[in-house]
Order: sequence, then C-alpha cells, then structure tokens
Amino acid sequence: MTRRVAVVAGGHSKFGKRYDATMRELCAEAYKPVYDAGITQDRIDATVLSYAASQFTGQGAGSALMADSIGLQEKPHLRVESACATGTASIRAAYGMVASGLYDVMLVLGVEQMNRVSSATATEYMSRAGDMRWEYPYGISFPAFYALMASRYMAEYNLPHDVLSMISVKSHHYGAQNPKAHLPKEVSFEEANNAVPICRPLNLYDCSLITDGAAAVVLVAEPRVKEFTDQPMWIKGMGAGASEMMIQDRPSLTSIPGAKRAAKAAYKMAGLQPKDINMAEVHDCFSIAELIAYEDLGFAEPGKGRQLIENKEVYHTGRIPVNCDGGLKSKGHPLGATGVSMTYEVLSQMRKKAEKPTRQIKDVKYGLVHNVGQSGQFVNVIIYERGW
Amino acid sequence: MSGEKEIYLGYTTDKAVTPFFKQFLEALEKQQLMKSTCKKCKSEYLPPRQYCQKCLTECELTEFTERDAKLVSFTVVEFAPESLASRQPYVVAIGEFPSGRRLTAHITNLMDMPKVGMKLKLSFERVSDKQVTYKWQV
Ligand SMILES: [Zn+2]
Repeated sequence: MTRRVAVVAGGHSKFGKRYDATMRELCAEAYKPVYDAGITQDRIDATVLSYAASQFTGQGAGSALMADSIGLQEKPHLRVESACATGTASIRAAYGMVASGLYDVMLVLGVEQMNRVSSATATEYMSRAGDMRWEYPYGISFPAFYALMASRYMAEYNLPHDVLSMISVKSHHYGAQNPKAHLPKEVSFEEANNAVPICRPLNLYDCSLITDGAAAVVLVAEPRVKEFTDQPMWIKGMGAGASEMMIQDRPSLTSIPGAKRAAKAAYKMAGLQPKDINMAEVHDCFSIAELIAYEDLGFAEPGKGRQLIENKEVYHTGRIPVNCDGGLKSKGHPLGATGVSMTYEVLSQMRKKAEKPTRQIKDVKYGLVHNVGQSGQFVNVIIYERGW
Repeated sequence: MSGEKEIYLGYTTDKAVTPFFKQFLEALEKQQLMKSTCKKCKSEYLPPRQYCQKCLTECELTEFTERDAKLVSFTVVEFAPESLASRQPYVVAIGEFPSGRRLTAHITNLMDMPKVGMKLKLSFERVSDKQVTYKWQV
C-alpha cells in the first residue's frame, strides 16, 4: 500500500423512525450534500454499500437498489457486512481499494431501515446474530449480550448502575443539540436511572435506538485530494479485531478482546497513543459498551472508566470528548450507517461544523472512531488526522 | 427428514438439526450432557463441535459429568425476542464448572436477582414433545 487516503466529504440523513422514506430516499438524502459539494456521480469510480441486514425491509440485492437510487447504477459496487460494524468495515474495504490503486475516488454509503418491523421482531432478528445453535434457543437478545457484560462488570468492579445512567444523560445532552438525532431530547438522571428494565441490569435508557437512517463519506487517494478539498481528513491509522462467536467463550466479559486488538493495531499504524486523541466516537450500543470502550481504547485503566464520566472528562470541553453527537443512544443506531455516521461526525468536528457551539469540540487534530459488531465479534478502530 | 421424530434444543425450533447434533439431543433426552473430543489432538469442546476448531479433525461425543458450577454472569430478560416472548421474564446465565468449561442456559427456579459467584447446579428438562434442554438451578 503506497498511497495515503483522505476523507474529503460527507453527508448524513435525518435519523429516526423514517416511515416517510425507504432505503432509496435515505440514500438520496445522505448523498445529496456530497453531490452539492461538487462530487457528482461522474467523479466517483466505485462504491461500497453498507447495510447489515436485509430481513428488516425484505429487500434483497439492496446494494444495487442503493446504487441505483443515487445514479451510480453503472459504476462498480459491492456490499460489505459486519453486523453493527458494517459501516467501518465498508470504509476499511474502500480504503484498501483506494490505497492499492484500484480506484482513486470511492463513495461509502451506509444505510439501515429497521422500523418496517415491530420492536419485538427487530429484537428477534438481532438475536439471530448470536450462535443459532447454542445461544439463540435461549432468547439471548442483543441487549442481553451486553447485559451479560454489565452484570459481570458491575460485580467485578463494584460498579453502581448510577454510572451507566450518567453516560445515558450525556448522550441525550448532546443528542438534544444534534438536529440529525433520532431522539433529540435531554433526560434527567432520575429518568434514566429509573427507566423500565429491558435486560437487567440494563434498562431502556441503557439501550440504543432502533433507527432508520443513512450516511455517506468519500475517500480519495492522495494525488487527487486537492481536486476535492483543502480540508482533507487523512486516514492515519486503521485496526480491525475479532472475538469469539459465543460470548461464554471469552476469557473476560469486562472488556471486548477484539476492540483491544483493533485499538492496538490502529494506534500502531498511526504512530499515536491514547493521550494524543482529541475526540472519540465510540460504539455505545449500550451504556456499558461506552464504559468498556473507554478502557479498551486506553483512555482509562481497566475498572477506572467511570472516572471519565464522573469527572465529565468525556464532555465536549473535557480531556477526551466522547460521542458529542448523541451517540447510538440518542442520535440513533441504523446498523449499516453507524460507522459511516461516526466518521461524518469526526469530519464535521474537525471542520468546526457542529450545528451548535455547545457541542463543538475545540481543536481536533486526531479523532478516533470505534465501531463494534454484534457483541464484539468484529471491531474496527480508525484514527483520522486533520490535514490542514 | 419426514417420518423422523423432530427434536430441538431449548425454547425455539431452529430447523438446523444435523445428525451429529441430533445425537447430542438424544443423549440430552436421557439427561446426559455431551461434550466433544477431537479424535486427533484431543481438544475438548463444551458445547460440542463436530469438527475440531484447531485441527479440523472430526470430534466424538463423550459424556460431560460435572454438575456444580458458579455463576459468571447473568441477565434477566424482560423484553424478549419474538420467539421467546411467552417466556419473559427469564434469567440467562453463564455458569462455569470447576474444570473451567462453561455453559449458557436459563436459571429456572430463581425469584430474586441472581448474584455473580453464586452456586449453580446443572439440570435437565423436557420443555415440550419436541424440545429438550439443560438448565441451571440454584
Ligand atoms: Zn483437533
């Protein structure tokens, strides 16, 4: 791999229960700002289309539909899937193709439309991401996997549930300031801490949302970056990690081994350390997942992640701002779009384009994205560098 | 497989019952829990696998006799996937045997919140005509 690769533009649909749209309209919404920025179809060589599951809509060959919806039906495209880490897996795939010289300009377009089915059905589909033979017959839903981590973490480190609720309060504080967010409202600590249980010890406010939405970014090879922008965001480091299929087979339930492996590889490639990172977008599919991410990414020692939220160091003015767009909890979690949305947010923060100053992070040189698939079977960590 | 008796593990009816898995389920009906052992490298698996993860050699089923375990982690599922909605709430628990082997199942006789580290005992249950399972008891 000889060529550096930069993210030069991004687009983002409104996240939410989008009964007014199908995958087609969501894709158009996400690509439109990219098109308006002058990156028209003729300038794009190929596309990676990112969606996690066709069950939600019943649409097969979804990537063809997605490409067709934005006028890229004649350009090469393919779909990448890694459960909830699909978005960054797609960026990873595109990065490889651009860095290697196969293409100069690639669009990564992520989408998921999950609300065509009921919450119980969506929960059913997501539970099939557990081992179908040994886990699925016991009704281990997506929240249940993270609840298994939460109960262990709370016992090992004597963690009160209060700390998890503090994370939810932060997510909603920032989601309330993000016009693209699914649930843009503040919640009080009492509301979050006393919410109805979903999978004990996790309650409703510990869980991310079942969201429809799309996001897009454009990756360009170094020799051609100047044609597109004078504010490129370089891919500085990229790491991927994996973990055991069955959660019971993991030696520890208080961290995600694949996340640690991914982070290590990303820091090594970037030549950076956790202390160098100015902001992070982490995969808070559940409040406990954000807490564990602080530790897996090296922002805190094992068992000490709580200090970051208790001392507000993960707020936008703190030492390491995390998810100042509302995260999966408040912004929403349309599976295949999530990792792309995280990347879009880092680009927006670097360019000082946060919609409100009350969520604008001051000076972002290095931004990190941490995107976890299912309960940790796939993890991508990407470190981006401001190029101006 | 028409004419043959249907049998499934746990509380769902996923159709992917292979001959190897069926052997496991038929033992379970007799209250025997089977692990698998690689014929070549002797690696052991619980729950069992047909092919060794390390050397891809076929494994054979042998009985796993440990019954006492400790609770590694748990969740009380209050909002279940559609397929288990009629059973909610239910307790999912990962238990660890003294040998270090683990198993994931429901705790079915617990009314209070489970506690990490508490003692569990493995037991068996015929759930329906077509379903059989292992389960944890406190
Ligand atoms: Zn072997």
